[in-house]
Amino acid sequence: MRAEIKKIQDMMETADYVTDPAIAMSVHLAMTLKKPLLIEGHAGVGKTEIAKVMAKMLGTSLIRLQCYEGLDAAQALYEWNYPKQLLHIKLEESTTHSTSEKEAAIFSPPFLIRRPLLQAISQPGAPPVLLIDEIDRADEEFEAFLLEVLSDFQVTIPEIGTIKATQPPYVILTSNRVRELSDALRRRCLYMWIDFPGFEKEVRIVTRKVPGVNERLAREISRFMETVRTIRLAKVPGVAETLDWAQALSSLHADHLDEELVAETLGCVVKDADDIKRLKRELASGGIGRFVAAQS
Amino acid sequence: MQSPRDLMRAVLAFGGVLRSAGLPVTTPEVMDAVRALEVVDLMDRHEVYLALRTVLVNRMEEQPAFDRCFEAFWTYRADEGQGLDGLITTAQPARADEEHAPDLVESAQEKQAQIALDDWDEGEASEDEPLEVPGLSDREVLMEQDFSTFPAEQLDEVARLTVLIAKRLARRVSRRRKPTRRGGVVDLRRSMRANLMKGEIIDLRRRARRRRKVRLVLLCDVSGSMDLYSRFLLQFLYALQNVFGRVETFTFATRLTRVSDLLRGPSYKRALKRLTEVRDWSGGTRIGDAIRDFNQEWGHLVDRRTIVLILSDGWDTGEPDVLAQEMLTLKRRAGRVLWLNPLLGNPSYEPLTRGMAAALPLVDHFAAAHNLSSLRELATHLILR
Repeated sequence: MRAEIKKIQDMMETADYVTDPAIAMSVHLAMTLKKPLLIEGHAGVGKTEIAKVMAKMLGTSLIRLQCYEGLDAAQALYEWNYPKQLLHIKLEESTTHSTSEKEAAIFSPPFLIRRPLLQAISQPGAPPVLLIDEIDRADEEFEAFLLEVLSDFQVTIPEIGTIKATQPPYVILTSNRVRELSDALRRRCLYMWIDFPGFEKEVRIVTRKVPGVNERLAREISRFMETVRTIRLAKVPGVAETLDWAQALSSLHADHLDEELVAETLGCVVKDADDIKRLKRELASGGIGRFVAAQS
Repeated sequence: MQSPRDLMRAVLAFGGVLRSAGLPVTTPEVMDAVRALEVVDLMDRHEVYLALRTVLVNRMEEQPAFDRCFEAFWTYRADEGQGLDGLITTAQPARADEEHAPDLVESAQEKQAQIALDDWDEGEASEDEPLEVPGLSDREVLMEQDFSTFPAEQLDEVARLTVLIAKRLARRVSRRRKPTRRGGVVDLRRSMRANLMKGEIIDLRRRARRRRKVRLVLLCDVSGSMDLYSRFLLQFLYALQNVFGRVETFTFATRLTRVSDLLRGPSYKRALKRLTEVRDWSGGTRIGDAIRDFNQEWGHLVDRRTIVLILSDGWDTGEPDVLAQEMLTLKRRAGRVLWLNPLLGNPSYEPLTRGMAAALPLVDHFAAAHNLSSLRELATHLILR
């Protein structure tokens, strides 16, 4: 293994992120090729975490743009500070400045609100990590706009001029696949799919993140989660749920799983009424043994 | 030792193999792949695999095909005992690959046969031209006739008419969407400029709220007699497709198959004709299972801006409970759910089959889609508010 990749893996582990070679490789390539990295996967598998760890590793800041339906350039890029402009106009009312002077004054950098994309481009010093979280929640028009920003990392503000990044930021995009992303965006990015962790990896995550859980319980939890994910549920639980549950069990001072304990804490694992019913049915028919017994 | 040129050539050839397996690999991506290989350990096969995968795979669904191609392409030369860096020096990797990886090439050719629809039947392209059809009123008879009763030789003409009607509708819909002067959201930026000398905002400037296009998901029953209706419906909707943000199509009889890619591009009409060939004749229709598979695998295609159309006669041989449950899931996600049942065109028909009875309460609109005028009527329901 290339030393740099090993180093990334070690650094991620130090930052309490349990990783694997595939994730380390993607981060390595995103950093060396300076290309945006698109991370897809089920909810709660640690997509967002990667950007945070990357910023920590690089010793740089993390700028986050949370996407939502209706997000537009004014919210993502920049906006003028209208109340401040209005106040300024009011204060200047009695002065003899000309219209063009007034205009120049209120459309100048002190009146500019820098939103995440502009922040990421105009930040002095080391390039930051720009996290564009849940891009699938934004509209298709926004995706096209983003594509433009990501291709040349420059922004033209009519009143001020063009701002270009001296060093383009590291870009991480995440998607839960609520909406299918365009091919153009996909082509622009490096791609990584993060699946639910395998059994061994999940055990490592649990013991790392929830120190109060002993080895036996960690294995039982992971086995249980592995089985739960094979059942058809409306919302398949991710690693976030595993950790919530482990935390709950740890605070109850549990050292192994039993039926009663599972029934009491099931709300940490699945968070949908129908799913809870279904899981309870499965537990009643097969017993806890089926869920925690080692699978071949 | 390999020279950069050979590395590049090998990666280019690999890109070609991926393309023939259906992965949309572009030249900039191939260039990135070459750059990626410069920063990994070429002696480590897994590392090479991960690097190429990160650059050349664009979505999770492409991964299995990528894995097969990688196995076939980069393994054979290892078998020749050249070691991994030797792999990349072969003079004509692409051709050598074809000889040594019959499985891959076979599957690639299979895929190609599915995609390369453009090559057959070029003569039909004129269907895209705006045709001059002397007054639709002359065809009033055709408008009301059930699709299944047309003689085979008349079907082409009916198909042409379907497209024509759809195109007229498309023009009308796009005109209706032009932004209005009133309403919309306040444009603070323009208001600020307009009121610069006034000291406060008196005259509000507005801009129209942008509208996202509606997306369509079609689930078409292609079992038995439904197949013909499915094809007319698809023909109609694909001619309308510019009006929609995206059209995704699935067919089902006993199995659910995604055919969107097949139908993409100018050759969709020819592709339509081939749909019957992917149909499985065995057994009845399991609508509930098909919709469940859709919800599980493709649920992410559906949101509040999506209209889901299901075309089926409702003869479900599966459990009605499954169908009801899955329809509910679908309805919760989608903007609208429409069920089209050609049998509804028959005045004496009543939706009494168990499947139909289970699904009906969960449907926003129930229509026939059995003739041209019912397709035209359908267009008015393809709008979300």
